Amino acid sequence: MRRIARPRVLLVPAVAFVVALGAFQALDGSSTTARARPENPDALTKRGNNELQRARETADPARYTRAETAFRRALRLQPRSVDATVGLATLALARHDFRTGLRYAQRARRLGPRLARPLSVLVDAQVELGRYGPAGRSLQRMIDLQPSLASYARVSYFRELHGDLAGARAAMSLAVSAGAGAPENVAYVQTLLGDLEALRGHPRAARRAYSAALTGVAGYVPALASRAQLDAAGGRLAAAIRGYEVVVRRRPLPQYVIALGETQQVAGRDAAARETFALVDAERRLLAANRVNTDVEIALFEADHGDRGRALRLARRAWRDAPSVRSADAVSWALTRSGRARDGLAWARRALRLGSRDPLVLTRAGLSARAAGDRGAARRYLRRALRANPRFSVVWAPRARRALRALA
Amino acid sequence: MRKLPVAGALGAALAAALIAVSLSPGSSHREAPNIMLDPSADNTDTYAFTANDAPDKLTVVANWVPGGNPANGPNFFRFDDRARYYISIDNTGDGKPDIRYRFVFKTKVSNTSYRQSLINVQSIDDPRLLQSQRYSIVRETYTNGKPNKPRTIASNLPVAPSNSGPKSFPNYSKVAGEAIKVIGNSKYFAGQRDDAFFIDLGAAFDNINLRLLTGSTGLGTDTQADTSIQTITMQVPESDVTRDHKPVAGPDADNATVGVWASTERRKLQVTNARFDSNKGARGSWVQVSRLGTPLINELFVPSGQKDAFNKSTPDTDNARIKKYLLTPEFARQINALPGELLTNEVGLPIKLPVKLNVPETDRTDLVETFLTGMPGLNQIDKTDPLPTDTLKLNMGVAPARTPNRFGILGGDRAGFPNGRRLEDDATDIFVQLVAGFFKDNKISAGDGVDQNDKPFLDTFPYQAAPTSGFEQKVGRRQEPPHLPTPPGDNPQIPILPQLPPLRLPIGPQLPIGPTVP
Repeated sequence: MRRIARPRVLLVPAVAFVVALGAFQALDGSSTTARARPENPDALTKRGNNELQRARETADPARYTRAETAFRRALRLQPRSVDATVGLATLALARHDFRTGLRYAQRARRLGPRLARPLSVLVDAQVELGRYGPAGRSLQRMIDLQPSLASYARVSYFRELHGDLAGARAAMSLAVSAGAGAPENVAYVQTLLGDLEALRGHPRAARRAYSAALTGVAGYVPALASRAQLDAAGGRLAAAIRGYEVVVRRRPLPQYVIALGETQQVAGRDAAARETFALVDAERRLLAANRVNTDVEIALFEADHGDRGRALRLARRAWRDAPSVRSADAVSWALTRSGRARDGLAWARRALRLGSRDPLVLTRAGLSARAAGDRGAARRYLRRALRANPRFSVVWAPRARRALRALA
Repeated sequence: MRKLPVAGALGAALAAALIAVSLSPGSSHREAPNIMLDPSADNTDTYAFTANDAPDKLTVVANWVPGGNPANGPNFFRFDDRARYYISIDNTGDGKPDIRYRFVFKTKVSNTSYRQSLINVQSIDDPRLLQSQRYSIVRETYTNGKPNKPRTIASNLPVAPSNSGPKSFPNYSKVAGEAIKVIGNSKYFAGQRDDAFFIDLGAAFDNINLRLLTGSTGLGTDTQADTSIQTITMQVPESDVTRDHKPVAGPDADNATVGVWASTERRKLQVTNARFDSNKGARGSWVQVSRLGTPLINELFVPSGQKDAFNKSTPDTDNARIKKYLLTPEFARQINALPGELLTNEVGLPIKLPVKLNVPETDRTDLVETFLTGMPGLNQIDKTDPLPTDTLKLNMGVAPARTPNRFGILGGDRAGFPNGRRLEDDATDIFVQLVAGFFKDNKISAGDGVDQNDKPFLDTFPYQAAPTSGFEQKVGRRQEPPHLPTPPGDNPQIPILPQLPPLRLPIGPQLPIGPTVP
């Protein structure tokens, strides 16, 4: 939004400067305002938020550093600013520095005890740090105060973590409905709704949701990635690989690169898969340089495709940083793949302690149990993994089926 | 950001500053979107007036969903099917609703096309209209605060579609006109309209930049030009809303004044108990997320830390909740601080105001009266002991003005704001001048330099103009931003940037002294 009227002529040199830098610079009103009037904390906060949003759109982690600068300057000028504090919390969470995120969220909550916004980052931090009880209470407070797309989507995720897929779907459809007028956010929750449908074994409903997201925002990358995943799971490998290639070209994030490589592997394109996997570490380093932590993703990747010792180190670090069900799953799998299946099974139970029905986690738990010699547990986990959707993944579903057959 | 909604009202403008969507690109874990804007539930403006062509009726225009840009297809702006929209009436003065009109929507979406319509839609029932909404109206009444049995007034009424352009709608006005429904002695309309609100948002929210003080000379930019909103407009007989169910005999009649506001409710969920969701009718399963009576009260008086709580609250709590902020308004201190600050003038040069503004900062009972209790002899509901409540208080006995004065009461026009609010009333200028101390002998010709809406209003129901079509609108005035070379066959998302400020002629500071009121 525009703040001060400035004659067009003053903006021309700015445009030229940005082109010379070769960067996509958000030349919107707020950032020019922030430059022209550095004393304005609101404009600085807005600029920080714009940078976060652009980071989301472009996957350029350098945006994070700029966002941080803006929020910190805003806070220097106005130390009790709820918005700038929420901004720093959001930023820390985006970098997977959940403890810092929690600290800022708690501070924001103290500064604005009657506002819904601090609760949103508080919930996210508590969930990622494995503090599910407090997270549930914060989330209930948030939705009691302000039902909205943001709180519905969080309720959905919380229910999903607890294995309530139908309840998660219901909450996410409320989020989709609540999003009129904010296309990117609607596309995002539509994609998540599609993912839930896919988990529930409704691939057509999932595809409809992804199409709706792509209709709303052309070329929306999360929806393209989810659709590629759906194609892969349905055995349409060529379409899936084409889809992932587009995704990786636009957002070369580790999880997309890994998904492409694994799909190439399943399709028998081993050379291409090796090349793809080689990209993973480059992307990790790029993100790490901007202080984005990808330990969980990389740990699972290394456990399956690389250095198992490194997998275990990263997974343990992830658990130390954020003892969540997600990092427990990574520790479990890294242990099992390192030949310590009995420990792996114990950690798998931690990963499943909320009652998750995530088929990937259940499959890894089943394989751990089998390797640990607990055939009963292995059968239970694997059957549960395959129950809702027997074709949940082109990589993991066949592994689960093979293991289950071998156990029969 | 692909398209940050350009605010339809100040509230949204402020809220827009809060937008932050978190999704970490390095992540496979999921973070919920952090958008705290809720446009489909967001009340932008509420108007209540006696229309010239319906002098014995109450007309209410309630607008939602700010920043509608008809060219934003395929994401057409709409009401949310899962929310409840309300227009409330208080005819006893206790700040509690005595009558509530509830509007609930249902979207019909085509499974075969993403388009809103095929070409050449001729009527509102035309099958070529692929996406459309229908709605129902329920009237709730309360006796001594206790709800009576609600009555369904109508259901399956059509909603006027988004005006996507002349190829889709060769005659949009005709199609939208068919959304005007006459039910008994009342009229209803729901759907897209041109936003009646006009303001130079850019100046007003840059800590009151200098353009604010050029109000007497015009030259502001209507930042709301060409944007649209979703409106619910209704016109009901006075006897439907008065406390004695009788028409209003004249401006001094006991039943003449009613308080009007609009609000939105959303479904509450139990975080870990999905079974709660289906418990539709249960008491307490709905939460009010937005309310709006008097314009700008929430935006300019309520501190940011209280805004969520304000939106959740009801007018009967305003005495304890917001009266104190009107008595010692921060906005008054801001205006007084202006002469000490460097202000940016039209060419970006810093200047200082050479005068003192002398805005009273304390004991502003005049503001409490104007905005919350109603003015004596004009628009108090309870004339003996009026309770401060944020509702638009309209004395329906005051005859409508043939030629409305945009300054309303300040301009001697008793049919205008803050006696209710008409579409023509210049809420921003009135507000600024009132806070500056109009009723405290401190008359300052301040304003935002925008005097009227970009489109003329209609003489007849539903009064707000038809929305500019997506094909013709100029809201964006978009310029392609610089970007890196695009690989062949790739289709990167190019963000649409906000418009660049237009070139304007330099003008000097206007000395803000002397009344502007004609």
